[in-house]
Amino acid sequence: MRPAARASAVLVAAVVAAPVMLGAEYLLRVLILAGIFVVLAISYDLIVGQVGSLSLAHPAFYGVGAYTTGILTTRYGLDPLPTFLVAAALGAVTAVVVGIPSFRLRDRSFAIGTLGMAWVLQLVANNWIGLTRGPMCITGVPPLMIMLPGGVELTTIFPRTGYVLIVVIAIATYLIAWAINSSRVGRAFHAIRENELLAEMQGVNSLFYKMLALGIGAAIAAVAGGYYATYSSVVCPSEMAMMYTITLLIIVYLGGAGSLRGVTVAAVVFVVLPEVLRVAAAARLFVYGGLLLGAAIYLPGGVEALINRVERAWPGRSATPRSGR
Amino acid sequence: MRLVLEQVLNGLTTGAMYALVAAGLALTVGVLRVVNFSHGDLFMLGGYLFWALYIHLRVPYPVAALLMVPLMVLLGIVYQHVVIRPVVRRAWQVQLIATLAAATMINNGVIWLLGSTPQSTPTTLSRTIVQFLGFSMSAQRLLMLLAAPAVFVALHLFLQRSRIGQAMRAVSQNREAAEAVGIELPVMALWTFAIGTALIGIANVLVTPVYTVFPAMGLMLTLKGFAVMTVGGFGRVNGTIFAALMLGVVEALGAGYIHSGFTDAFAFIAMVLTLLLRPQGLFGRKVGI
Repeated sequence: MRPAARASAVLVAAVVAAPVMLGAEYLLRVLILAGIFVVLAISYDLIVGQVGSLSLAHPAFYGVGAYTTGILTTRYGLDPLPTFLVAAALGAVTAVVVGIPSFRLRDRSFAIGTLGMAWVLQLVANNWIGLTRGPMCITGVPPLMIMLPGGVELTTIFPRTGYVLIVVIAIATYLIAWAINSSRVGRAFHAIRENELLAEMQGVNSLFYKMLALGIGAAIAAVAGGYYATYSSVVCPSEMAMMYTITLLIIVYLGGAGSLRGVTVAAVVFVVLPEVLRVAAAARLFVYGGLLLGAAIYLPGGVEALINRVERAWPGRSATPRSGR
Repeated sequence: MRLVLEQVLNGLTTGAMYALVAAGLALTVGVLRVVNFSHGDLFMLGGYLFWALYIHLRVPYPVAALLMVPLMVLLGIVYQHVVIRPVVRRAWQVQLIATLAAATMINNGVIWLLGSTPQSTPTTLSRTIVQFLGFSMSAQRLLMLLAAPAVFVALHLFLQRSRIGQAMRAVSQNREAAEAVGIELPVMALWTFAIGTALIGIANVLVTPVYTVFPAMGLMLTLKGFAVMTVGGFGRVNGTIFAALMLGVVEALGAGYIHSGFTDAFAFIAMVLTLLLRPQGLFGRKVGI
């Protein structure tokens, strides 16, 4: 292990462990939200950053996952953990349903198409009262409970163990994304991102790989939704709102699209900062909008560019291009 | 049958509003190739402006109506200068994110300052019921039904006949060639946004007295505008106007005969069907507005 890698591993371990030791409930709740956003942002980056298709449908997949777990546990009495698998599967199916018409479009039309599909899904959540209870929300979702050998119980009832659970999901997501990015599939993703026509000429089936990225991203987002349902015990149509798309766009573009670590850092910063500063939601989104606008105009590389600049300034070390960029 | 016709007339007024908003959207896409996610939010802002003028400053309706268009054009020019100009030559992703960011700022800025309670602006015209072709409707709706076609004809003539309109069409057909013969892109961007926001201003004057204004309406209008633009042909002004009028009618009939909760979904169902069956839109071509 290189010294820098070892140092960052220690740093990550410390950041993960410290809140558990401290046990400060408010801090833990904020960090749980940050963890959910890390999972969402990394899975969103698969389609936006790695393949380069600007989908605006991601919160819909999150919502599908949350509703799947919510409905299966409250109405059919299922244990939460297996419902995560169903949520992931339904998330992927939704991605295919969204993808079939949307991938007939390119560029900006694709973005609009996916946004329209997400809108329709939110309308369904709002109006199909028989299934989702609409604006009355699904309530009383049981918490996730996992018994480990040795009598240790991990559950979403307590912020402490709930935090451990989301950290596990986040790390798994990070590793899955990292494995994909450095595999043959990841190279196909990047080839499509750089030049779709050229990739097709090299024999890369771009529709298949784009659908794959959307499907994997949607499955992961759906698991995050399932976790959220068991953690908050309530699922409402607003979980699919446009606000999530904006926040995710900010995270991915300020973090640097295609950069795993950049996106992860940005997700934590953009959830924790406004919570700690206790900014009202509307004012927060106003500022977020301003940041996103400024970033789009003046900061094309995002956090990834900043990290690279710091690495280059580090004496005796050369900046190495990471997975993705 | 009478009831159906009444629904159709109601739908046409809603459709005229969609058309006035979507025409500006199609113009921006057609001429500048910029997808402007703030267009509906500029309409929402204009609605609040009209509400402030009429209710709070007690400006009489005709004066407020005359003031709205120059005020909205001014807003369009400022918006163009702050948001569009820095990104007009950048990648489409950057443009999309910049306008989406601006939409978020407008939407949440209004929520922050005024809250999200819907505001209504009843005028004398909207309270007066008149008879038209045997149907009774508010004078405001009648004004809408009569004024909107005139606006669309004027827009069409402007784009076809005037020098600016011809220059805009030239840019939309071949940006590089148009610039090579001396048409300046920044000037055309300015004109496009001035016309787009003027149409919004007209729509505000005609529509705001009949409907309520609330922050969330902006994004919904933008999305419906994109949907009708996809149906009518991406960046095609006349096709978009036709599709918008159709959507208004379909929504009115659908709300009456199918399910009022899903009214907002019709635009996207139509959009998805168009994408599956005829991706270039009903009136789609490769180039041009």
